[in-house]
Amino acid sequence: MKRRNFIQQSSAAAAFLTLGGLSLESFAKKTTKHITILHTNDVHSHIEPFPADHYKSPNLGGVARRATLVENIRKENPNTLLLDAGDIFQGTPYFNFYGGELEFKLMSMLKYDAATIGNHDFDNGIDGLYAQLPHAQFDFLSANYDFKNTVLNTHVKPYKIFIKDGIKIGVFGLGIKLTGLVDPRMFKETNYLDPVEIAQDMSRILKENEKCDLVICLSHLGYNYKTDKIGDLELASKTKNIDLIIGGHTHTFLPKPTITKNSVGENVLVNQVGCYGLNVGRIDFYFDSDKNVASKGKSIIV
Amino acid sequence: MKKIIISLFTILALFSCKNEPQNLVKIQGKLLPVSEEITSKKEITDFIQPYKQKVESEMNTVLSFTEIDLVRTDGELESSLGNLMADLCFKRANPVFNSRTGKNIDFALFNYGGIRAGITKGDIKTENAFQLMPFENSLVVVELTADKIKELVNYLIAEQRAHPVSKQFNLKISKNGYDLNINNKPFDNSKTYYVLTSDYLQNGGDNMIFLKNPVNIENLDYKVRNAIIDFFKETDTVKVTLDGRFKTEK
Repeated sequence: MKRRNFIQQSSAAAAFLTLGGLSLESFAKKTTKHITILHTNDVHSHIEPFPADHYKSPNLGGVARRATLVENIRKENPNTLLLDAGDIFQGTPYFNFYGGELEFKLMSMLKYDAATIGNHDFDNGIDGLYAQLPHAQFDFLSANYDFKNTVLNTHVKPYKIFIKDGIKIGVFGLGIKLTGLVDPRMFKETNYLDPVEIAQDMSRILKENEKCDLVICLSHLGYNYKTDKIGDLELASKTKNIDLIIGGHTHTFLPKPTITKNSVGENVLVNQVGCYGLNVGRIDFYFDSDKNVASKGKSIIV
Repeated sequence: MKKIIISLFTILALFSCKNEPQNLVKIQGKLLPVSEEITSKKEITDFIQPYKQKVESEMNTVLSFTEIDLVRTDGELESSLGNLMADLCFKRANPVFNSRTGKNIDFALFNYGGIRAGITKGDIKTENAFQLMPFENSLVVVELTADKIKELVNYLIAEQRAHPVSKQFNLKISKNGYDLNINNKPFDNSKTYYVLTSDYLQNGGDNMIFLKNPVNIENLDYKVRNAIIDFFKETDTVKVTLDGRFKTEK
């Protein structure tokens, strides 16, 4: 066999492989993979952009614009997840009129992959949230709300694993303490579990048992508190194996993600993008199979 | 032979792909504003349209007018919007309470977090009332002992937030303590007070635990939002002032 022939044939094989979803690059010494995480929080039923004469956010936001933004990024990188950190409900008459139906239908049209539950998502009671679930074609994740004695039992998962381009991404949800914040008649027998303990369990399960390449916490705890109330920064410092905490509740507008240290001194990213769908957060994760690159550690550009 | 080599190649490629460990080497984060430069996706706009029409027809009714932006952040321990909300609820609720019990409300108390949106100067529409008070909470009057009123005051002092109170409630925090007047009379340790609030707060919302277990409770069956709408309907132009009803003495 002549060498030229062999090269031609192997290119044909490569073409075939590309069609099968794998490229010849994957056969080479190293491969690079790219995962994009998009996120929102505290959208609070803001369907339309703010009016042009609004005192604070003129002409900003709007689900239809967010749809275009997300769609363009998905075209650029199909390995994208779209997540929401809770408080989807409450804030415009759309919620008062339709009880969250429109919010869930639109999020499904935007192909949200998962959301966690915020305190305001209980505003029509746990039964009101349950009633809207058929309109949501995405998963609700909460690891520290025990819904065993409620209608939401089995409808909310603690975590979900997504596989994108062979990268295993574990996402788990955390909710804020409801007592003192939400009328008990609304959340009924929802049992709040300690978010730090649960996050330690979840990150261990996702990293060690499930062997996830990426662990994301979808939190509605709030960014940071002066009191002893647990926020995302404190959560980050008391856990390990979490790569990214996507936050909500405090409507904290972070111009760029916060880089903080976990319990073993590794970097954790904490992000939150204000509220009302004014912004979308974007975090890109790049993976490499080249040991030489990996040994230099990860670089974080924010 | 060629075929064998190609298949071998394929198998090798597949095999090596599956087992290559992936290491996280770079993370990049940024904020994407949803600005007006982004074109709205037509499919979404069209889907919203029928929902929007129904909501808008009800929401666009003009109820009143304001010459200034009404916000919760224009004072230190009080605000234009907070004062307005507490005063208008008092005004609307007291006749209801009086006709039922023959008594009068002493003052109103709500929570800063419950003011959900400001009102831009100009026409006030039904929509503003919904944004200001999106929740389905109702007005309640609780009869509180003097001890509970002291807890209430301590809560307000500890919180240092502009929790809305009506004009009948005058609290001046000083270095040595505080000075409390209710209805232009010094706080009286020997009597009980009638406090107007929402059922949400009465049930322990925002940790206002002093509202729990009152001497008496009267649910007015009057939604906070309806009180706001009714007040706007009867008021041509809203007048609000920051009158120092709740302040720290310098």
